[in-house]
Amino acid sequence: MSGKLQDIINKQNTLHNSEDQLEDIVQLVGFIVGEEEYSIPILNIQEIIKPIDWTRVPQTPAYVLGVFNLRGSVIPLIDLRTRFGLTPRKHTDETRFIVMKNDDEVAGFVIDRLTEAIRLKKSDIGPAPETAFQDKSLIEGVGKQEDKILTILKVNKLLERDF
Amino acid sequence: MDEFQEILQDFLIESFELLEQLDQDLVELETNPEDLELLNRIFRVAHTIKGASSFLNFDVLTHLTHHMEDVLNKARHGELSLTSDIMDVVLESIDLMKAILFNVRDNGNDSGVEVDACVARLDVISTGGDIAAAEPAAAEPTPEPVAEVPVEPEEEMNYDDMSEDDIEAEIMRLLNEKQEEDKAKRKAKIAAGEEVPMMPGMEEAAASEAEPTPEPTPEPEAAPVAPPPPPPPPAAVAKPKTEPKAAAPAAKRAPTTVEQTIRVDVKRLDHLMNLIGELVLGKNRLIKINDDVEERYEGEEFLEELNQVVSIVSLVTTDLQIAVMKTRMLPIGKVFNKFPRMIRDLSRELGKKIELEISGEETELDKSIVEEIGDPLVHIIRNSCDHGVESIEDRLASGKSETGVIALKAYNEGNHIVIQITDDGKGLDTDMLKNKSLEKGIITEKEADTMSDKEAFALIFKPGFSTAAQVTNVSGRGVGMDVVKTNIEKLNGIIDIESEVGVGTTIKLKIPLTLAIIQALLVGVQEEYYAIPLASVLETVRISKDEIYTVENRSVMRLREEVLALVHIGDIFEVERVFDSSEHAYVVVLGLAESKIGLIVDSLVGQEEIVIKSLGEYLKGIEGIAGATIRGDGGVTLIVDVAALMHMAKTVKSTISAEVEASSEANVEKTKASDYVVMVVDDSKTDRTIMRTSLRELGITLVEATDGQEALNILKQGEYRFDAMLIDIEMPRMDGYTLATEIKKYNKYKNLPLIAVTSRAGKSDRMRGVESGMIEYITKPYSPDYLRNVVSRNIKFKAELAS
Repeated sequence: MSGKLQDIINKQNTLHNSEDQLEDIVQLVGFIVGEEEYSIPILNIQEIIKPIDWTRVPQTPAYVLGVFNLRGSVIPLIDLRTRFGLTPRKHTDETRFIVMKNDDEVAGFVIDRLTEAIRLKKSDIGPAPETAFQDKSLIEGVGKQEDKILTILKVNKLLERDF
Repeated sequence: MDEFQEILQDFLIESFELLEQLDQDLVELETNPEDLELLNRIFRVAHTIKGASSFLNFDVLTHLTHHMEDVLNKARHGELSLTSDIMDVVLESIDLMKAILFNVRDNGNDSGVEVDACVARLDVISTGGDIAAAEPAAAEPTPEPVAEVPVEPEEEMNYDDMSEDDIEAEIMRLLNEKQEEDKAKRKAKIAAGEEVPMMPGMEEAAASEAEPTPEPTPEPEAAPVAPPPPPPPPAAVAKPKTEPKAAAPAAKRAPTTVEQTIRVDVKRLDHLMNLIGELVLGKNRLIKINDDVEERYEGEEFLEELNQVVSIVSLVTTDLQIAVMKTRMLPIGKVFNKFPRMIRDLSRELGKKIELEISGEETELDKSIVEEIGDPLVHIIRNSCDHGVESIEDRLASGKSETGVIALKAYNEGNHIVIQITDDGKGLDTDMLKNKSLEKGIITEKEADTMSDKEAFALIFKPGFSTAAQVTNVSGRGVGMDVVKTNIEKLNGIIDIESEVGVGTTIKLKIPLTLAIIQALLVGVQEEYYAIPLASVLETVRISKDEIYTVENRSVMRLREEVLALVHIGDIFEVERVFDSSEHAYVVVLGLAESKIGLIVDSLVGQEEIVIKSLGEYLKGIEGIAGATIRGDGGVTLIVDVAALMHMAKTVKSTISAEVEASSEANVEKTKASDYVVMVVDDSKTDRTIMRTSLRELGITLVEATDGQEALNILKQGEYRFDAMLIDIEMPRMDGYTLATEIKKYNKYKNLPLIAVTSRAGKSDRMRGVESGMIEYITKPYSPDYLRNVVSRNIKFKAELAS
């Protein structure tokens, strides 16, 4: 009897410990643009939808595809391929719009395909590589996984108008 | 503290409402100094504000109003006659009172406004002195006021000395007074609001019957509890009237029984309006879906029911929208009220005699528009006073009565409200306007020559333009009318000027009733759609392309008697124009403020009710786009910002005429043989090689395609600028005829020579070739020389470049 009780207590302790660990874990959603895998914090994602029609908006850079209707809201649509300097490509079955939000700012981003939800320890995230234009950098940091490196993007920078 | 704030708020709202009426009453009083009713009303305002401000410990305000009250009290009892000079002092004190109230509103205290000088002058008047003498005497104030203050206990309440019963009684009195005011206000609201249609009738009744009736004591709280519906005639009759304008104030003290109005925060109304907007979009969507369903399931029974539901929903939505819009409506009289005073001051300042006639002040407008319309009207009226109406001597010399008349009129016209400002002054002289503009470099001589009268009138809206020989206090700096233009543009309004020299000028402002939900014209260009606010659309015309002329690199067309500048919507919004098969175009004639422009579009889709949504922080401020709306099919359509579009049209590079010139341009800059590019389209490698060999001598660039589809793709990529194409007829995927037809759909390839190279030599084949747009027909086999000749002729090859 006391053994069983001990078991339960132990179990609870481990649960408790894992909860402690949870606080140090960042949940990310990974996706592919071009050849590379990027990710953004899951909390910045409002939703992910399949491509729908959009309307072009004049006098914007090429990476701003236009605006689309998300259940009654008019939301800008940005093509990440063009944003990252890649040639635009036709949408495929795997193309998705990720609707990201940061405070009140919302925009849809076109990505080539989704990969997976990723849990990463904060300690496994390194700083972004030094570049000449630190202010303009879209990279928040680099996450190390067992077999690969993951680029974590700055959502607030992505949602910032720079034209 | 909060309670105090609340009382303060009420006090401010009440005071400002009283002041609005006060201005008008005072000006009226000057023309009718004997009007006891008016005097009583003004006196009560001063008294009410004094009472309330002493409660709230605004000593300066109390001090000032107290002395005003003295003067008015004397006037009321006939001990003082109100001359213009006295009125000046009274008006000055009212201005000070306003300044203090603004201070209270903004800073929460009543200090910072200097009232002593004015108070001294008021005192001089109330003690029967001469103000002229008072000016210097102001330094040594007469002893009377000091003595006067304490001897009037019921005016300047000293609560410390009062017994409790007295205070009780005083509170009761003040409460009654307050109730009286509330009732009056409610009545005024009703009179100005829901019962507007009744107003004219009331006015007449009141004006005709009430004139001689002496004023019965206005005792609203004593009024019997009358049933609500039929009060107007008897209520109005009781009030003496001087002119119809006073209808609203006269009704103010009419008895009222039930509480009929509540104050609502504007934010709540805005929110309600937004919700209605969403509902309207939903309705549009529903109608669209209903149409689709109807088409697909024609004859099914459930359709009828669906139809009914859709009609009911759309009907109710429309009604709801109108109802909510109405809650936001204010009578324009709120704005008009300040003008009598302004005209009075101006006419004194300018030494002219000017009368203001106001009509239609009960016309209603959206609150946000009422707030914006004030400034433009001030500028227009100042202008009319300063430049329009002549001096007394000039008027008499030209056989007019010495008093100039400015008429301010508001009325509804469809979905617009029109505000019309008419003066009977000297009118606008087009020659003078043109000369002035030339002098200031606003227009060129050539422009001046071709200008129509309307265009010349519109010159007064140019920034920097002024006809005044010298800058006066009133106007002449050349900014006022520019303000008018900017503000009216902001409201999507239209300005129309009519003027005749020596007779007068009429300025009409046409403004849409509301801004949130608007009617729009949907237009198409290529595969895109845009919504243009219908308020800015004057008309639409269908023209053939050769009605478009080019004058100094600008496209124009003749529209009846006018020359209309044209701009293609595709040039404004960078629409890629891939194809343009029609010989006709639609021109949407846009009017905004004083200017007009023709917008060329490919198609007109129709009229739709749209709700303006912002593009959000990320895309805000895009020139030419006012926002977006969601259409019935769920797609997003951008809304054109007409003001910005007109501005952009001045600088945008027109491609309307460039299209035609494009092909000739291509021929100009050939400097070497390889600048000439010819495409060879043939599925047989042998044939391609033969052509290549035959043409090698010329040294021109050859691009090969193996079938029609590939040729079309190469053309679309636009990597080369082809001078000609050699096309085989028999090809897989897409044959030569189809290819030619496809190519000719593109406007920019209209002049590209297409040469058929084929073994099919029948007459009907040639006919088909011509029909599909081929200009030459080479039959296989051919000699290399012949091919060379045909090609070099068609590409206008310069022989000296041959290698």
